[in-house]
Amino acid sequence: DDAFDYLFKIILIGDSNVGKTCVVHRFKTGHYNEKQQNTIGVDFTVRSMDIDGKKGSSIHWPLQLLSFLLQIQVWDTAGQERFRTITQSYYRSAHGAIIAYDLTRRSTFESIPHWIHEIEKYGAANLVIMLIGNKSDSLDKRQVLFEDACTLAEKHGLLAVLETSAKEAQNIEELFTLMAKELIARNTLQLHGKNPPNSFCLDSR
Amino acid sequence: SIQHVYGAQHPPFDPLLHGTLIKSGSKPPTTPVKLKKVSTFQEFESNTSDAWDLGDDDDELLAIAAENLNTEVVMETAHKVIENHSKLQEQHKFQEHLQEEKQEEESAQLTSVACGDNRLVKSVSEGHTSRNASENSSMQRSQSLPQTSTPPLVSGMADYNTSATPALTEREASRLDKFKQLLAGPNTDLDELRKLSWSGIPKWVRPIAWKLLSGYLPANVDRRESTLQRKRKEYFAFVEQYYDSRNDENHQDTYRQIHIDIPRMSPEVLRLQPKVTEIFERILFIWAIRHPASGYVQGINDLVTPFFVVFVCEYIEEEEVENFDVSSLPEEALQNIEADSYWCMSKLLDGIQDNYTFAQPGIQKKVKMLEELVSRIDEQVHRHLDQHEVKYLQFAFRWMNNLLMREVPLRCTIRLWDTYQSEPEGFSHFHLYVCAAFLVRWRKEILEEKDFQ
Repeated sequence: DDAFDYLFKIILIGDSNVGKTCVVHRFKTGHYNEKQQNTIGVDFTVRSMDIDGKKGSSIHWPLQLLSFLLQIQVWDTAGQERFRTITQSYYRSAHGAIIAYDLTRRSTFESIPHWIHEIEKYGAANLVIMLIGNKSDSLDKRQVLFEDACTLAEKHGLLAVLETSAKEAQNIEELFTLMAKELIARNTLQLHGKNPPNSFCLDSR
Repeated sequence: SIQHVYGAQHPPFDPLLHGTLIKSGSKPPTTPVKLKKVSTFQEFESNTSDAWDLGDDDDELLAIAAENLNTEVVMETAHKVIENHSKLQEQHKFQEHLQEEKQEEESAQLTSVACGDNRLVKSVSEGHTSRNASENSSMQRSQSLPQTSTPPLVSGMADYNTSATPALTEREASRLDKFKQLLAGPNTDLDELRKLSWSGIPKWVRPIAWKLLSGYLPANVDRRESTLQRKRKEYFAFVEQYYDSRNDENHQDTYRQIHIDIPRMSPEVLRLQPKVTEIFERILFIWAIRHPASGYVQGINDLVTPFFVVFVCEYIEEEEVENFDVSSLPEEALQNIEADSYWCMSKLLDGIQDNYTFAQPGIQKKVKMLEELVSRIDEQVHRHLDQHEVKYLQFAFRWMNNLLMREVPLRCTIRLWDTYQSEPEGFSHFHLYVCAAFLVRWRKEILEEKDFQ
C-alpha cells in the first residue's frame, strides 16, 4: 500500500448508457462486458498504474525521466438524473473527472455543458477534466463530429478529448495514462515549487 | 406433528395478542411495526437461532428425505455429485486458462495500439494557473469500499424455483396441503397465511399466495375471480390511455430511460425475448407516469422480474422459467401475467416510494438506520468499517435501491420475498434487518479485510 507514489480519485460521469461502466471494466480487467447492467448510485474500481517516463511515448511530459507507481480509483456513477444527489457527494474529493458521451447519440453530447456545470458547482476548483466520445467502434452511426467535441473542450478549458471504444479497447489505456500524467505533473511540480516548462503546450492531433 | 417455532417471527410472537386474534377472528394487526417497539436485535436473534434446528428449514427437509432413501440410491447420488463436481472443476480450470490466454492476447493488442489520432491534448502546463488552489487537495491515500465488496452469493438457500425436484417429500407435501387448505377458503385467513408463508411458500401455490399477501386479491374466494378480471381490465385501460404518449415530449425521457435499461437487465435469457421486453416496458412506463412524484428510477426495473417469473409459473409445467420461451404462451395468459405483475409491483412500491422520490430520502434514512443498527448489534464490524473510512452509503445504497437483487440470485430473491410479503413492512423495515444480517453473516470476511480500495 505504501509503495504507491500517488492515489488519484477520478470520477466518471455522463448520460445514461453512454458506456461509462464498460470503459471502467475495460480499464480494470482488459475485457469488454456485453451484458453490463445499469449502474445504481456509484461503483468503485481500483487499479494500479505504472507511469514510466523513460518509456517512449508520443505524449510529451515534463517529468520524462521519472517513474511513478499509482493507485487509480475510479468512481463510476449512474447516469440517471434521480441519482444526482448521491453522485454529487463524490465530486468534492475527486482529483479528476472524465465526462463521457456516446458519439452515436447526439443528445448525450448536448448534455456535456450541463455535466461541466455540475463539476464546477460541486467539484474542487482545480479538477482536471477530460472528455471522451465513446463507441468509436460504431463510426458509421456517428452523430458527433470530433471537431465539435474539440471546440467544446477548448471553450471550457478541458484537458483533452479522446474518442474511445470500450468494446475494441481503443484509447482506454491512453485515457487514464493521460489523466494520470497530468495529475502527477500538477502535484509533482507543485511539490517542488517549479514552474512548468513553457514548451509543454501541445496538440497531438 | 410439526412444532411451530413462533420465535422465528419478526416481531417475536406474542401469545396474548395471538390468542385474542384467533378467538375474535378479527383482522390481523395491520399497525406498522416501529423499530423501537421491537425488542433488541440480540433478543430477536437468540429467539430465532433455534428455528434453524426445529423449524421449517431445508436441512430438516433433506434429513427427512434422506431417511426415505435406501443406501444404494444415496451412494449413487453421492457418486454423481462428486463426478459433476470434478467435471466442473476441470471446466473451471479450462475457462481460467482460456481467460489468461485472452488477457495476454489483449494486453498485447493494447500495447500495440499507439496513440490513435482521435485525440486532442491540451497542456499540462495550464495546470499552473490553479496550482495554489490545488495545494490542499489531498493526495493522501484514503479508502473506500470496492465494487466487489458485496459478499459472495448466498449458498445453501433452497432452490425452490429453479431446481427440478418433482418428487415431494412427506414434509413438503404436508406443507403444501396446509397452504391449499388455507387458500381454498371460503375466506383465507391472511394472518395464518402470513405465518405459514414466512418460512417459504411452495412454488405451486406461490402465485396465488403472493397475490393475496400483497393485497392484490381479496381473502374471500368468491370475489377473487371478479377482482382479477376487473383489475386486469383496469390495467389495460391504462395502457390504452397512456401508452401512446410514450413518445410525447413530456414523457419521452421516461420512456427512453426504460427502453435502454430493459436490454441491460438480468436474467439474460428473459431480457432477450422481445415479448418480455414489450411487457416490461409497458409495466414500467404505466407505473412511472401514474406515479409522477418518483417516476421511473433505475433499479425499479429489477423489481418487476420476481413477480413476472413467479406469475409465469402459473401457466407452465417447466421447472426452468428462466429458459422458458415466453412467446409460446397464449396471448391471454401473457396479458394476465402482465396485469398481475403490474399491480403486485405497484403494491410493493407503495410501501417504499420514498426510496425513489427526489433526493431518495427513503434510502438515505434507511442507510442511516442500518448504520445505527449495526453499531448496536456488531460494534466491531461497525468500528472496522469506520476505521477504514468505508461509508455505509457506499455499499448499502444499492442494497436499498434494488432490494439486494443485485447481490443474490433471483431464486433467493423470490424466497426472500415470501418472507417480506408476510411482514407488515417487509420491503422497508424488515429489509433493513436482512441487510444488517448480511453484514453480520460476513463479519469474519469484513474484519479480515484491511484494504477496502
